Amino acid sequence: MKGLIPLFIGLFGTFAFSWVGLTVIPNIQIGALNPQISPDDENDIYPMPQSGMVQLGRQVYAANGCIYCHSRQLRPDYASADLDRVRDAGPSPRPKWGERRSAPRDYVFDQPVLLGEERMGPDLADLGKAAPSAEESPAASPAAPAQSPSPAANTASPKPGAGGAPPSPAPPAMATNPSPTPNPNGTPPAYSEAWHHRHLYSPRSMSADTRDSNMPAYRFLYEKRRITGERSADALQLTGADAPPAGWEVVPTYEAKCLVAYLMAQDQSHPLKEVKSAPGAAPAAGSPAAQPGAPAASPAGSQPAAPKK
Amino acid sequence: MTSATDIPLKQPAISATAGDAEQLERAIIDASTRVPVLMFYASAMVWLLIGTLLAGFVSFDLHSPDWFSNVSFLTWGRLRPVEMNVMIYGWASMVGMGTAIWLMARLCRTTLRHPLLLVTGTCFWNIGVLVGVIAILMGYSTGYQWLEFPPYAALILLVAYALIISWAILMFRFRRGEQIYITQWYLLGAFLWFPWLYAATQVMLFVAPVQGVMQAVVGWWYANNLLFLWLGAIGLGTAYYMIPKVIGRPVYSYHLATIGFWTYALFSSWTGMQRLVDGPFPAWMITASISATILTIIPVATVGLNHHMTMQGYFPVMRYSPTLRFTVFGAMSYTIFSIVGILISLRSTARYLHFTEANVAYSQIGLYAFFTMIMFGSMYYIVPRLVGREWRYATLIKLHFWASAYGIGLLSLMLLVGGLVQGSSQDDPTLPFIESLQSVLPYLRGLSLAALLLTASHFIFAFHFGLMLFGLGRTSTVPTFLNPVEPEGSEPQL
Repeated sequence: MKGLIPLFIGLFGTFAFSWVGLTVIPNIQIGALNPQISPDDENDIYPMPQSGMVQLGRQVYAANGCIYCHSRQLRPDYASADLDRVRDAGPSPRPKWGERRSAPRDYVFDQPVLLGEERMGPDLADLGKAAPSAEESPAASPAAPAQSPSPAANTASPKPGAGGAPPSPAPPAMATNPSPTPNPNGTPPAYSEAWHHRHLYSPRSMSADTRDSNMPAYRFLYEKRRITGERSADALQLTGADAPPAGWEVVPTYEAKCLVAYLMAQDQSHPLKEVKSAPGAAPAAGSPAAQPGAPAASPAGSQPAAPKK
Repeated sequence: MTSATDIPLKQPAISATAGDAEQLERAIIDASTRVPVLMFYASAMVWLLIGTLLAGFVSFDLHSPDWFSNVSFLTWGRLRPVEMNVMIYGWASMVGMGTAIWLMARLCRTTLRHPLLLVTGTCFWNIGVLVGVIAILMGYSTGYQWLEFPPYAALILLVAYALIISWAILMFRFRRGEQIYITQWYLLGAFLWFPWLYAATQVMLFVAPVQGVMQAVVGWWYANNLLFLWLGAIGLGTAYYMIPKVIGRPVYSYHLATIGFWTYALFSSWTGMQRLVDGPFPAWMITASISATILTIIPVATVGLNHHMTMQGYFPVMRYSPTLRFTVFGAMSYTIFSIVGILISLRSTARYLHFTEANVAYSQIGLYAFFTMIMFGSMYYIVPRLVGREWRYATLIKLHFWASAYGIGLLSLMLLVGGLVQGSSQDDPTLPFIESLQSVLPYLRGLSLAALLLTASHFIFAFHFGLMLFGLGRTSTVPTFLNPVEPEGSEPQL
């Protein structure tokens, strides 16, 4: 080519075309989405901003490479079997991976957004939804039946897991008392907070479903320490080779608690008007399953469209 | 024959009978690039060895996930991104820049001015990679694939890049001769696209973050463009230089080269969304990327045809020339790379290949079978001209080639077939999920065998390169042939 100018214009132009076409224009289209407010119920807002622990948990998730094996997006039913799939553990009927495909609006508060491109392990988009609901485990926890309609009214999360900060007046029910759902092997109910902790600590100890898993153990997120005085409320219930020696206990670090809070906040079950929900899931809009503020309650004010109280 | 022919593409094909003045000029140009290019190569080799060892550890960790689970920075989840980033920014980018600088000097027929300043750029780049690696190990990964380095490490890389690239552009400014050879197009493209790509991505992800899923869009737009417009462009440019140069014959068609270049720039830059088929995005974006991926068959066909016609009748030279053998392997892998790219993006096949090891296969074929093999070839050509010695052992070169070729071949096969098996199990909702993992595990074990071959290949090459670096190569005017050359024949230049 003789002229330099056409060459440089060409180099510039082709790349500008791609940059504008694949990032700038889509950013105009889907880069400024608002949460959906139900026309029937002003308090029914989805998605909601997440609590600090969930945010920190997302950092832990990113830092430790969970994304290289777990996706967090469900494909539509015509393109995959994602929506027909059930999880490997859990009571019968097993919880489904999800009720509907993922949509851009599901991720408006995610930073960083961790969609993933590999499924060595199962999809986690709706993992929190698979947790045993409060009714199923009528444990001693007084916080369990907290089905508050107002997101701002309760400080603890409506989910049994997300409020596990050490000084919390409502200790996580599962960790202290795994007996309500008796299980061979002493395993806590599937996808409960205690289950996640034990799964992270010792992925292959859970049950037949996870014995063949090749998920790395994340023991560095847990602290093995001598019991001083009373056994900690959040110490892991471990059996067999994993169990610490007598007089010792294994407790989650704050990072581990954040990670589990993040995992349990994974919930895309709320219907979105732009996405077709699976048959049978649509009426869930008004049911208690679709609690406002499902991931975790946040103080009013961080939400531009805060509901009037 | 002089370089002033009408067809500019004949320029790098100056025959061995070129005048002494020309020989001398080239020697002076090579001498000016000696320190920085060797510095790039040596750094890249160190990163390659680190990355290779990490890859072995990572692949081992996949079968024995309980190992070192008490030590945060030795877990799979942290070593895996470190390995990828070391390979991309430590090995691939550095060896690519080294080759690109040397090619630029040769093709502009100008000496590299103030080469020591370029060495500073190399040091900064090494520091940037090191800082990024340590940050990932300490748990400060950003969580975007191929962009795990935190922004401060990226900033160091960008500063280093600015230093490095201004030198290359400066050479272009002082070039002699009117014609711009096709290799220079690719190199100029890579030089201009990369900083834009990297800076734009850093801004859109960290400085003024875009909302929600747009981050994933920007992330994959970056990753694919890094593969195509940065590494891929350097690789193709190098192949366009090395193949005609070694066989002493001009590129077959100027027009095909032009078409190949512009369609490559246009289509491959749009393929980013192929990794997100049926994800939570507007369908038009994914469809656009799938179409662009299909259209990349045009540059593949034109570039492939051009190389093939250039090589026509000269394929036997691959028996002797290490450069040609590696380069042709890489150029052929470019075709395979593109076909696999189409397979993983078409909606009908993506159903079985998305979210499986096939995605990894795609990246590995692009990074290794295509780019890295061409870079090995260019190093076999360039290093003797920088150190004034010839490669010592033809056997080591042969071992390097076959270990690499079998290694990457086995690796791609295992990942592709394993991915298909894994994806088919995932697509059957009656099977428990763990079944899909079980079905792919035997293939992952085969992967460890491939990793072993590649490790051997890299250590052999590193040893050989070390000999050259310390002046222990052969003192000879004849290049090292892979096999003894018969007296008659086409007199390859290597």
